Amino acid sequence: MDVYQLDDLTKLQQHLLTQFHLYQVINNDDEQYAWQQQTKEGNDPLIAKLPQSSAKDFFFAEHETLLIFNGEYFQETLPTPKPFVLFGVLSCDLTAISYQDQFFKDDPYYQARRQQCLLVGLDCIHPCQQGFCPTVDAGPGVREHSADIILHPLDNQQWLVITTNDKGNEAIKGLALTTSHWHLLTQRDLVLHRCEQDFPDNTYLTRAIDKLNTGDIKDTFWQQLAVQCLGCSGCTTLCPTCSCYGTRSIPVESIQEEEKKHIQQERFWDSCLYEGFQREASFHNPSSDAGKRVQRFWQHKFGNEFFTEFNRHGCVGCGRCEQTCPGVIGVHSVMKRINSDA
Amino acid sequence: MCADLIRTICPFCGVGCGIYLKVNKQGQLQGVEPDKGHPISQGKLCDKGWSTPYAINSDKRLTQPLKRINKNFYPISWQEALTTITVELNAIIDESGSQAVGVISSARASNEDNYAAQKFARAVLKTNNIDHCARICHSPTVAGLKQSLGSGAMTNSAKDIFVTDLMLVFGADPTENHSILGGHIMQAHAQGTELIVVDPRVTRLAKLTPMHLQLKLGSNIALINALLHVIIKEQWFDQHFVESRCRGFEQLAQHVKNITPESVESTTGVSAELIRATAKAYSHAKRAMIFYGMGITQYVSGTNNVISLANLALSCGHIGKPGTGVNPLRGQNNVQGACDMGCLPNVYPGYQAVAEIESQEKFSKAWGTKVAQQPGLTSLGMTKAAQSGDFRALLLFGEDPVVTDPDQNHVQSSLKNLDLLVVAELTMTETAKLADIILPAASFAEKDGTFTNCERRVQKVNQALAPLGEAKSDWQWLQALAKQMGSPLLNWKSSEEVFNEMASLTPAYQAMTYPKIYDNSGLQWPCTEDTPYGTAILHQQNFPIGKARFICVNQVDIDEPIDENYPLLLTTNRLHFHYGCGSMTRNSPLLERETPPGVLFINPTDATALNITHQAPVSIKSRRGYVETRAMFSDDVPVGLVAMPYHFKEAPSNQLTNTAQDPVTKMPELKACAVAVTPLSKGVPPKTIQELQQLQEGQ
Repeated sequence: MDVYQLDDLTKLQQHLLTQFHLYQVINNDDEQYAWQQQTKEGNDPLIAKLPQSSAKDFFFAEHETLLIFNGEYFQETLPTPKPFVLFGVLSCDLTAISYQDQFFKDDPYYQARRQQCLLVGLDCIHPCQQGFCPTVDAGPGVREHSADIILHPLDNQQWLVITTNDKGNEAIKGLALTTSHWHLLTQRDLVLHRCEQDFPDNTYLTRAIDKLNTGDIKDTFWQQLAVQCLGCSGCTTLCPTCSCYGTRSIPVESIQEEEKKHIQQERFWDSCLYEGFQREASFHNPSSDAGKRVQRFWQHKFGNEFFTEFNRHGCVGCGRCEQTCPGVIGVHSVMKRINSDA
Repeated sequence: MCADLIRTICPFCGVGCGIYLKVNKQGQLQGVEPDKGHPISQGKLCDKGWSTPYAINSDKRLTQPLKRINKNFYPISWQEALTTITVELNAIIDESGSQAVGVISSARASNEDNYAAQKFARAVLKTNNIDHCARICHSPTVAGLKQSLGSGAMTNSAKDIFVTDLMLVFGADPTENHSILGGHIMQAHAQGTELIVVDPRVTRLAKLTPMHLQLKLGSNIALINALLHVIIKEQWFDQHFVESRCRGFEQLAQHVKNITPESVESTTGVSAELIRATAKAYSHAKRAMIFYGMGITQYVSGTNNVISLANLALSCGHIGKPGTGVNPLRGQNNVQGACDMGCLPNVYPGYQAVAEIESQEKFSKAWGTKVAQQPGLTSLGMTKAAQSGDFRALLLFGEDPVVTDPDQNHVQSSLKNLDLLVVAELTMTETAKLADIILPAASFAEKDGTFTNCERRVQKVNQALAPLGEAKSDWQWLQALAKQMGSPLLNWKSSEEVFNEMASLTPAYQAMTYPKIYDNSGLQWPCTEDTPYGTAILHQQNFPIGKARFICVNQVDIDEPIDENYPLLLTTNRLHFHYGCGSMTRNSPLLERETPPGVLFINPTDATALNITHQAPVSIKSRRGYVETRAMFSDDVPVGLVAMPYHFKEAPSNQLTNTAQDPVTKMPELKACAVAVTPLSKGVPPKTIQELQQLQEGQ
């Protein structure tokens, strides 16, 4: 781990732009924060704002063609992206990426993109509206293993630049940086600690997680809760760790004569809250009950069995589901109801 | 996977949620995300909204004009399409007059498209034969509220849900059909707002409240009159309000004097006790809102049902204040706008009456041509006249009456009887299959314009994609057709010019402009010099007719009760996964997977008596038609009632539905008819209507 100090962040952005496509979160329109490509000609200032759509689409595409079959041959359609950098990913989303790295470890489509990516993390020094990353060990400071480079804002427009691995060191090679005093790392710890303390009381979250794992929540509670699940897929779409997908074959009529008719196998984001997600062709459905589906979703996010498998919770505390759920059963609402009603 | 975000309005229902379209470098729609700053949806979307890319990117989209020769369609150029239509239209008008032609516009299209459609009909074709699907959803709202209150629109706003004390949801299933607004109702209820649901089915909202009045099909007026009886007898009405703001209270009091809760128990199936409790809760609430939907309007008594709800709100003074009102939940994204634009045979834009000479002169002068004078036909009137040969040419866009209108066989044979049917559509619908010429339509993502949502909010739709292939906005092809017919009257350069012309002629829209609409996240009409930023709540000081009117109405039974041969009642419903005829939502593999193509909801008790198992193939027969589908056990429908969604062309509920109509608005009674349900042999999948029709033709 190397620690540097930087007075002007555009120097780093410009340096990275010589080797990478660079993406950064910008304010698109009225607080609609979104990942946008940056160019050498104009860099937007770095902002510590949670984009509504996480970065998962950069690796696990919302729709992608997996292969093409023309009647004789199967043709693999692996993506070949240019090297790119996600500049300023917040800790919750970085934690989600490393979670998905495990899930998609052997997925060539995911890995083809992931290998090309440099992750530059950004520490949060203030809590965000729905966020509770400290409760689920996902922030507010960037975890060392989750980014190649970490940025931390200091006073007086200065930045702390921390490289965590060879990839990070390689990326900043050639950039004039001042090696920093180690005491600034202590100062970072202090700022992050203070930020953690600024988060609202989270005991209902930890209590609910305990209750979820002791197994004494009745089926009727989930059934009652599930009346409010409209099956919109908003939570699973925006959740940075959700990774369920479906596939379908799309027959393509050729436009040009010389091209043969072919079939494309497409993969697309799915949602475990859909009734049809697990339904079998015989109509048998192990999760036809909406209560079961809602329970399964939360079990995946907070259940001990998944904690053991991934070494952490499936939830990174970003709070996006709370914001987007039309049925008012996002994470905070559900956890509060587990405390009060279950 | 980075994309440009274009802010626009979701095209799937009358709530009008804010949606961002993510467009990649190749100019393709890659995904969507909700608009966090939108005044209604605040960062939420329903499953239909989330699946927008499937609807727009469908490989089934039409990309060029098609001409039918015998049973097949062949691609032709726009020029050939326009010339063919012009020649045919002119010949028909020469022979049979302008009354023989007409236009059916679309509640899915923009205000600009709809304004252009009615102007094309009235100023170019010279006919008032212009209508759209509001006929089969909220025409009784327009007619009923106009009589009672003077204006046929939602009186309050979506945000009022969070300031009211009681929500009375009458014959509406908002979590399925207006999911985001339904979500607001759930949220308010969770925070302590009282919720009363009146519905024959156990809807999602009904499951959340002990106050569910599970009335019998079509007994709305009996129930409301009994509520009024209790409110008046117990002196729970708002005396000051009924005296100062209304007329006719005495007559109403007299009218409901003997309609006790006990006297309607057998008609409604609701206990007198529950009726009294509801009357007390509604009248005692400081602020109470009524929401209603198709469970009020789609009856032969549709207009009177609406009037009786107005009576109820007026009696308690629950109108003209925050958190109150009579609030119809409009179905399609722009059904309010299509009505506002005058795509109705009897009114010009802004509900200015066609029958009034003053309005005729106003529009003749503004458009520089003498407008049609003869009264026009409704959409069902047009299909009826087509059957007899009096009506010969129809231009139709963005609608699929073959699937969505009552009595499918009648509609199909009428449309086949036309000399010219032109359909502009996104994809090949069942109606388009009958067309002589099909025109490729641009989707909402491919055009600029405005939609007006159910709370009268006019919102800006922004183009995010280039039109697919040779697709055009409806106002653009109407303009091209007018030009081909020798008329320069639709000569706009942009959708903004269409809007400005419309606003200058539509009093409630007069102070609106595109930039102002965009900057304010929409403007609610009336938006005039006096109310430059629109109006969130109607009727605060006065009603457009001065004092509101209490109008006495009587219970009207459903047109087709059960009998020995048809022992079950069928009602229609919607599923939140699908929208209308399904031409957009059914392109999503996720939404399509959620339901089999056609389904009949049946109470397990009825099913067992008929020897029907869950998911088993069944046939359903009414006096008008026959379909096959699968039975779905559900305790949400009471014994004696079966329910069928109308989204599926394979098993269209409109093979079965009744055409009996509301005498005022010609609204067909889609919510109730008598049917017989029989099990089919197991292991054989139900036949689609298309397969059944082929079998019939083969015989």
